[in-house]
Amino acid sequence: MTEEKKPEERKPRKHATEAAGKIGPMVKAALAENLRAKEEGEPIAYSFIFSSYDEIIRAMDIMPAWTENYAGVCGAKRDAQRFLERAESENFSRSLCTYALCGLGFDSWREETGEMPPDAPWGGQARPTVMLGSGQIICDPRYKWYQAAQHYMPDVPVYVAGLPFPPYEDDYDYRDVQDYYVKYIVEELRGLVAFLERHTNRKMDWDRLSEVVDISDRTWNMISEAYDLRKAVPCPMGTGDAMNTMVPMTFMMGTQEAYDFFKDLYDELKRKIANKEGIIPDEKYRLLWGGGLPAWFALSDFNYFNSKGAVFPAEVTYRQVEPVYELDMPKVSDPLEHLAWRWVKYWAYRHDKARKRPGSNPDVERLIEYIEEYKIDGVVIHEAFSCRSWHPGLIWQLNQLKRVYRDIPSLILESDIVDISSYNEADTRARIDAFIDTLEAVKSKKG
Amino acid sequence: MAALSQYFAGVDIGSTMTKVVIMNEAMMNSVIGPTGPEHRKLANRVMEEALAKAKLVFEDITYVVATGYGRINVPFADKQITEISCHARGVAHLLPEVRTVIDIGGQDSKGIKLKEGRVVDFVMNDKCAAGTGRFLEVTAEELGVSLEDMGRLSLEAENRVEISSTCTVFAAQEVVAKLSEGVALPDILAGLHEAIATRIYGMVRRLKIEREVALTGGGAKNIGLVKALEAKLGFPVLVPPEPLLTGAIGAALLGRDMVREAAEKGGTLVRSKRRLTEATLFT
Amino acid sequence: MQVDVSGRGLVTVEKYYQDYGSRARELKKQGRRIMGYLCAFTPVEIIAAAGFVPFRIKGDVNEPITKADTEMETIVCPLVRSCFDVALKGKYEFLDGIVIPHACDSISRTYDVWKYTLNLPYSHLINMPHSTGEPSLNFYKSILGTFRTSLGKFAGKEISDQSLNQAISLYNQNRAKVRELYELRKTAPPSISGAEVAKLLIAAVSIPVEEANQLIDSVIKEVKQRKAVPAAKPARIMVVGAQVDDVAFIDLIEDSGAWVVADDLCPGAREFFADVDVTADPIDGIAERYLRKIKCGRTFREKKGDYEDYLEERFGHIGRFIKDSKVDGVVLYIYKYCDPYGFDVPAMKSYIESVGAPVLYLEDEYSMSTIGRLRTRIQAFLELIGSK
Repeated sequence: MTEEKKPEERKPRKHATEAAGKIGPMVKAALAENLRAKEEGEPIAYSFIFSSYDEIIRAMDIMPAWTENYAGVCGAKRDAQRFLERAESENFSRSLCTYALCGLGFDSWREETGEMPPDAPWGGQARPTVMLGSGQIICDPRYKWYQAAQHYMPDVPVYVAGLPFPPYEDDYDYRDVQDYYVKYIVEELRGLVAFLERHTNRKMDWDRLSEVVDISDRTWNMISEAYDLRKAVPCPMGTGDAMNTMVPMTFMMGTQEAYDFFKDLYDELKRKIANKEGIIPDEKYRLLWGGGLPAWFALSDFNYFNSKGAVFPAEVTYRQVEPVYELDMPKVSDPLEHLAWRWVKYWAYRHDKARKRPGSNPDVERLIEYIEEYKIDGVVIHEAFSCRSWHPGLIWQLNQLKRVYRDIPSLILESDIVDISSYNEADTRARIDAFIDTLEAVKSKKG
Repeated sequence: MAALSQYFAGVDIGSTMTKVVIMNEAMMNSVIGPTGPEHRKLANRVMEEALAKAKLVFEDITYVVATGYGRINVPFADKQITEISCHARGVAHLLPEVRTVIDIGGQDSKGIKLKEGRVVDFVMNDKCAAGTGRFLEVTAEELGVSLEDMGRLSLEAENRVEISSTCTVFAAQEVVAKLSEGVALPDILAGLHEAIATRIYGMVRRLKIEREVALTGGGAKNIGLVKALEAKLGFPVLVPPEPLLTGAIGAALLGRDMVREAAEKGGTLVRSKRRLTEATLFT
Repeated sequence: MQVDVSGRGLVTVEKYYQDYGSRARELKKQGRRIMGYLCAFTPVEIIAAAGFVPFRIKGDVNEPITKADTEMETIVCPLVRSCFDVALKGKYEFLDGIVIPHACDSISRTYDVWKYTLNLPYSHLINMPHSTGEPSLNFYKSILGTFRTSLGKFAGKEISDQSLNQAISLYNQNRAKVRELYELRKTAPPSISGAEVAKLLIAAVSIPVEEANQLIDSVIKEVKQRKAVPAAKPARIMVVGAQVDDVAFIDLIEDSGAWVVADDLCPGAREFFADVDVTADPIDGIAERYLRKIKCGRTFREKKGDYEDYLEERFGHIGRFIKDSKVDGVVLYIYKYCDPYGFDVPAMKSYIESVGAPVLYLEDEYSMSTIGRLRTRIQAFLELIGSK
């Protein structure tokens, strides 16, 4: 995800950690693995991240194809335009999720010609055996994208797993409803297993699933503990790196490899802290990435921030885990039940905290928590124009944060996840410069 | 008046150019002029010019059809028909083997799909300058090149650059930056033509393009753009002899079609009661 | 206190449409409580059973969006933004609360913005699932149960099965009347214009259902008694889209030389045609209607059978309308930033063309400034139909 190849010779982006540096080859290898699996007739499932079915797929030895990842790769390699244009020519609106447009453009191209589009980034994306969506409040593309892809692959079956989570409301507590949420999720995950057994030549090994779920629990814990180390001053790892280390979290959850990766990261960060090794030698401003998916083609902007003395010890984006031991989980033996409880408890994690602060909600509480624990001076959010799931609400969160907590300096960046035509480097850097000036002014006032 | 001498007029008021065509079986006269803001006055004046050229008076015209952006400002027109139908009709007459028409105007561009000479589908871009003549106009100004020379010069490129901005305003900035970096002018021009061809191709692809493909409108006179589009399509395109006139020709022909159909059914078409001179009273 | 609208149906429609919310304001003064809601997926029967007047929040295509941007992103569906903008400008100051269903991202991901900014005494998000299988239906029943309990608490009284059954009966009558109204559109030319139907249905969701029923009855009677024969126009058009709560677009088509004789819109056929089945537990019937009977892009239907069957399952109702109402052409009117419909365009277009009707796909931004631009396309589409 960090390799950027262009005729004009883009230099590879510098990482603060060795761990992050391992990611590019990992992603490339995973994509190659998919293509090999396809050739050997193994089942491949188009999948969405954070859909609570990683463990199920892994336990059944089904190869996940993370279509969001592939679109991100196309974006990072600045080769998404031709797929976006292809989708547009199919009458998909350019205002839809650009991950989906990239994927739909790619799939319709591959299906029409019967082979990978020419020079497809990193070999391309193999035709799937099944496509797995999810129905929840996170995102519409999760139940629309693969349905739309079925127009080009009518023989590929689609399963949408209902994965709701209790909203934060004043008229009831999540504990009043958690039982029926969990019941539903368990039924949907059971349905997913049945679907996968029916459409692939795999059978679920329930003992194996319990093992995989255990690994993923421990990985959740390891990620949380590793990332917590970034509270240190100077900070040893920033959001720029986290946008790489998210790979094992989102695409390899449930594997020993993912656990080992974060164990190595934990050890590496501990070493850096012991040596007082920060991302940059002269850390002046500590920033929170308060929301928004990154512009995959412009991750070098994090280096630009670094060059101005700013680091990002914490981010909300792609940190979709909490320590499982803090989730107040009931003890259950059925791994599907365990997954369902983990899902509900994860989303309800800060409900109690939010109730203690009038006007707050779990998202705002999370921002406040990070600001305090990571000693944050300012908040940056990125509005990606094509993503209606993570971005509506960010402006309100920022405003509410200032209303119920304190008036903290903030910056709003605007572009997209994959569509580079939305990005203006000069404008972005100018905004960053102005923000740095603000941070400096606030700092000198504090004296 | 003998039926063979029935004259039909088509008035196409585009955003940049106004075109009038007067025709019958034997002849066709046309006038092309810049549009400007005052459509009403303009329509009258251009019509008078065309009549003079054809040595006719307004009463000689059997039916007048107005089309184009300013078609509601042709008070003496008997009917207004969209430029989509008119371009299609014009091309069907001039180049009957055409199935897909790409019209590139000053401020909009269109794709039209034909089947047996009739419109079956169309797409339009009138929201975004980047797929229209305007894109080239703006950037030509920035580069200090005339519109006429742009196309020809672009063909001299040795290393076409990529213009990544899809927005006309940002593209203009990008182009100036590249020029100051020392990039060769033809290379930049080729990049611009490539960018606009990409936008147009992307739009027309929604129609499932079928050959033969014809190019009309001002953009068809730009050899650089024609070549860039041909490269995208992978085959040559047809360009009618005077690409700016297809709309007006089509309008006149549609008028003729309507009159003939009415005659066959034993009726007559309702004509506008306005006279050419009446309209000029208000100018 | 009911208002007698006999003989003045169309006039009353005009009043309620132009001064949207005026009846709710009157009722508020008389002591009624008004519950605002977004979207056809809100179970209005439950709201009415609790004693509130369900009030559909609507946008305004003539009002440039200015205030909404300070709290709500511009990538949200323009209709939702307009609704929010109009609410911020005080147009719905009579609301006692707001109910928002988990319809789509634009509606549900902005829930907190609505809740905290408007700061009404009551707000509730109905977390409706996207799928239609048994587990989803059961989950949805629990969700409705939670809503029922919560709303009852706010009303000061539990919502009884009896009151639910009463509300269901009234709303089913309402739907039957709308189906009767739509019969008037089948004639050639249609006895009632698309614009008149649109205004009536929009007005109808801003007043209590009993009054809406009276209003529809009145209008049907008046239309049937009309002496003047409506003009014959060359084309019969069907409009398909998500929510169209303003008549501007319908007017544009009808001013261009066509009648709008059918639709798949809300308010429109999608919203009004299906009934709640009478079931022992009223929640069962309600759940079945909203989750399974309403055909909208936000509800995921699983593919059973081959792909043609799948398209028929999802869009067959459009095919039936085309046949029954002798539709000449279909306009797909989809807002920019609309996910449930945006993703469906290629499949919908393909299905409608396979049924033999030409399709015009328009993307719009819910504003008079952009609607006018569609005129040429509509005219060209009508010319295309005329030349067949």
